[in-house]
Amino acid sequence: MSLQGWVPDIGPYLTLEEVIEHAFDYRGNVTVVRRDGTEVVGYLFNRDAQPPEPSVQLFDEAGHGPIRVRYAEIASVRFTGKDTAEGNSWKVWMERKEREKAQPAPAPGA
Amino acid sequence: MSVPISQMWTVATYVLRQRLARRPRYPLVLMLEPLFRCNLACAGCGKIQYPAQILRKHLAVDKCLQAVEECGAPMVSIPGGEPLMYPDIDRLVAELVKRKKYVYLCTNAILLKEKLDLFTPSKYLSFSVHMDGLREEHDEAVCRDGVYDEAVPAIQEALARGFRVTTNTTLFDGASPLRVREFFDEMMRLGVEGMMVSPGYSYAKAPDQEHFLRRSRTNQLFREILSNPKRHWRFNQSPLFLRFLMGKQDYECTPWGNPTYNMFGWQRPCYLLQDGYAETFKELMETTPWENYGRKSGNEKCQDCMVHCGFEPTAVNHTFNSARGFAETVLVTLTGKL
Repeated sequence: MSLQGWVPDIGPYLTLEEVIEHAFDYRGNVTVVRRDGTEVVGYLFNRDAQPPEPSVQLFDEAGHGPIRVRYAEIASVRFTGKDTAEGNSWKVWMERKEREKAQPAPAPGA
Repeated sequence: MSVPISQMWTVATYVLRQRLARRPRYPLVLMLEPLFRCNLACAGCGKIQYPAQILRKHLAVDKCLQAVEECGAPMVSIPGGEPLMYPDIDRLVAELVKRKKYVYLCTNAILLKEKLDLFTPSKYLSFSVHMDGLREEHDEAVCRDGVYDEAVPAIQEALARGFRVTTNTTLFDGASPLRVREFFDEMMRLGVEGMMVSPGYSYAKAPDQEHFLRRSRTNQLFREILSNPKRHWRFNQSPLFLRFLMGKQDYECTPWGNPTYNMFGWQRPCYLLQDGYAETFKELMETTPWENYGRKSGNEKCQDCMVHCGFEPTAVNHTFNSARGFAETVLVTLTGKL
């Protein structure tokens, strides 16, 4: 199931660290909302949860980066971009091939 | 085996130097991904599913060369994405050849014919053409009709111009051993230098999640394909790795053997898994918790993996690190019996 469109509610049942793990695994852009209200929209490609300074790294929508944001600065993460791993291109392809195979071959000279 | 003597010598002396230096972990092949953009969207590929700004980006040649120097591996494989879509591929390859690195440029060959003029034949450069089977199987694997018929003349053209050409084949569940054997015959008839074959890795992000091979099925499939190998088949990979695929060798993964560098940095822990990125090769080697990977670790992502990037380095180390491994390799090479 895709997380596209998910706006996680960070609190006692869902920690920021857990949401960041999901964002790290997500193959679409996310919106990182800082505690000061500013936002970074981009592809979150790395995270380092180890002390002393846990942080994430992103390339923004224009491809600029890496931009580093410390966990301590992050208020929330929204899964705003299209999930690029949620395509159905293979399924569509296979269905088309199955239809083609099911069709009778044209008669010689037809 | 069809690996040229000079390349074998380079690898052998490199491994021995690492042994003499008592390095417990060292790379054999750098997997250098200058871009993720591709002109295909194959069913079993989990490498290209990124937002547009990532697909538009690519590494600068200088960054690639810096990674090559940092890593120090004698061989550089350039996968992707499709490397022939990388605008500086000719300059990158020329620089690598100048550094006497053995380069495997992995391509689907769609652009090969039109780009051949960019390159000069060299013992250091091999086009490793992605071919997943005969026409029907290959076009199905790459989800586009006609790709096999584009690749074959491109291979022929490259061979005619004196380039080294190998093939790389990924097999999935449902592969017909008989058809794969016919495919090997066909590639040999084309005149490629050697073939590389591997089971696919079950990428979580790949479009087709149904056809990844499990370990026992992998052994069965490769036994059926390789038990009675034809004398004229040539493989551009360790024969001990092929025996491993057949279930005749038991190997543990060497995830640091084929380290991966791309626009995100040095990928932890291997070419297939993405558990994060290190900024330097040294950091990758020294701070990755290697004990968390490989079958023995219990990591579920590693349990069915038998892919060449993790196990071929193990096979090569086995060859050069033990008299028995060396003897087995020589025996298999001389007799042709896997």
